[in-house]
Amino acid sequence: MASPLPSSTSSSFSSLSSAERAGPPDRTIARQAAQWLVKLHDEHVSAADIAACDRWRAVHPEHERAWQRAEAIGGKLAGLPGGVALQSLGRSNRVERRAVLKTILLLMSVPVGYASYRTLPWQQWSADLRTAAGERRTVMLADGSKLILNTSTAVDVRFDSEQRLLHLHAGEIFIETARDPLSKELQTGANRPFIVRTAQGNVRALGTRFVVSAADTHPRLASSTNVTVLEHAVEIRPAVAVERARVIEAGQQIRFTGTTIDAPQAADRYATAWVDGRLIVNAMRLDDFLAQLGRYRSGLLRCDPEVAALRITGAFQLDNTDGILNALPDTLPVAVLFRSRYWVTVIPSPFSS
Amino acid sequence: MAATDSSMQHVQSLYSHHGWLLAWLRRKLGHVSGNAEAADLAQDTFVRIIVAHKREQCGVQSSEQTMQALREPRAYLTTVASRVLFNHYRRLSLEQAYLQALDQLPEIHAPSPEERLLILETLNEIDAMLQALPGQARSAFLLSQLEGMSYADIAVKLNVSLRTVKRYMAQAFEECIMQES
Repeated sequence: MASPLPSSTSSSFSSLSSAERAGPPDRTIARQAAQWLVKLHDEHVSAADIAACDRWRAVHPEHERAWQRAEAIGGKLAGLPGGVALQSLGRSNRVERRAVLKTILLLMSVPVGYASYRTLPWQQWSADLRTAAGERRTVMLADGSKLILNTSTAVDVRFDSEQRLLHLHAGEIFIETARDPLSKELQTGANRPFIVRTAQGNVRALGTRFVVSAADTHPRLASSTNVTVLEHAVEIRPAVAVERARVIEAGQQIRFTGTTIDAPQAADRYATAWVDGRLIVNAMRLDDFLAQLGRYRSGLLRCDPEVAALRITGAFQLDNTDGILNALPDTLPVAVLFRSRYWVTVIPSPFSS
Repeated sequence: MAATDSSMQHVQSLYSHHGWLLAWLRRKLGHVSGNAEAADLAQDTFVRIIVAHKREQCGVQSSEQTMQALREPRAYLTTVASRVLFNHYRRLSLEQAYLQALDQLPEIHAPSPEERLLILETLNEIDAMLQALPGQARSAFLLSQLEGMSYADIAVKLNVSLRTVKRYMAQAFEECIMQES
């Protein structure tokens, strides 16, 4: 069975011609062809069956065309990686319409928190919630909102009658807000605002439900907060230049400081991969990748400048960063030097010239 | 030629509701305001309509839909757009499942971005095709075609009779053959 190249299913006019030329065959013929196919896929198929099927196909061009349509699908299926295809196509929750509709996502990162958190450990201690390197934690808040803390994160939760406030000192959080139960109780109909505060300013959720996540990431991006909005919208209000407040829509990500807000960019579609414990990168520089990975490990993770510009792509399980490091030499011309579990350096491979 | 002209006029008159359709899609998507997603889906909706019109000219489809489109253009647009929207969600859930499946592979076997895209397109095509099938029939078909399982083994796995497995297979093959494109 030839396996044709997978063709795009996007609605393009080029696909029109084949649809015009050959619509679906007659239902009765399709049914007959299907019966033959069932027979021929049976492990008990006989030579007589095969011959009879060949005769049926030869009787009429429409028979053969129906047969070819099924064969084409079979070819496509045969070209797919079995395990992955079976899991994707055989998934039980086919269309999670409700889940997709109602989730409002917001991602944030506060690189500056990284430094202050290292130098001022008291901030971390005073936080209501915290996670260690490599740890991830899901918390249900008093109003029913869901909060997920990524690695090395410190956040205070301060709810009162006026507002629902999260103070993010360091790290990354993912928030899915619930409709404020207090509004029903008081019958005011108004939700208390849901706000995430960082050293750079406030991020206010606009909508009934949303997810916030914040990460300390890169030393190059010091003193800024990153926000990624996955659904609905948020309002950003820099701490100093409050008049610069602006609304960020779903599908956008943005970096802001106490005084400025950068132009919004398209959100990284894998920005929430960490929620499921994975890191997905596409042609990322090795030094950036190791900086990301380092957030999930204790100790030092260094990258030799000679290999820093190598590119890496893949989906990685964050619960086994040692395993990821050990596998690096399989895909890149590098060697990994473990001086100890807490001091790791990635260097050029001694075997490549 | 006359048929083509009037057909294109239908599409053009429908297109005057483009702004309205965009707003409808945004509301359905639950976003606060405009974004590329709604625009893409509106585009897909019109492409579908144009394809349907072309088919009609070839006598593949009845003009029932054209009549509805003329009488109640917005109702017609939402009917088509709902299908586009459903397809969109189906694709999202497929992508999610695909990524989850990829995660379970050792990193070395992770496909390149290009391979990933090609596989996803093929998966999407097949997923759309199997959408109409009952869950058990879909499972039977996938186990047979992807895992190479025998009918007898599938019957045991799904806890149904051999005859039922064959009926499922016939249903699935028929669905494959009757695909629109």
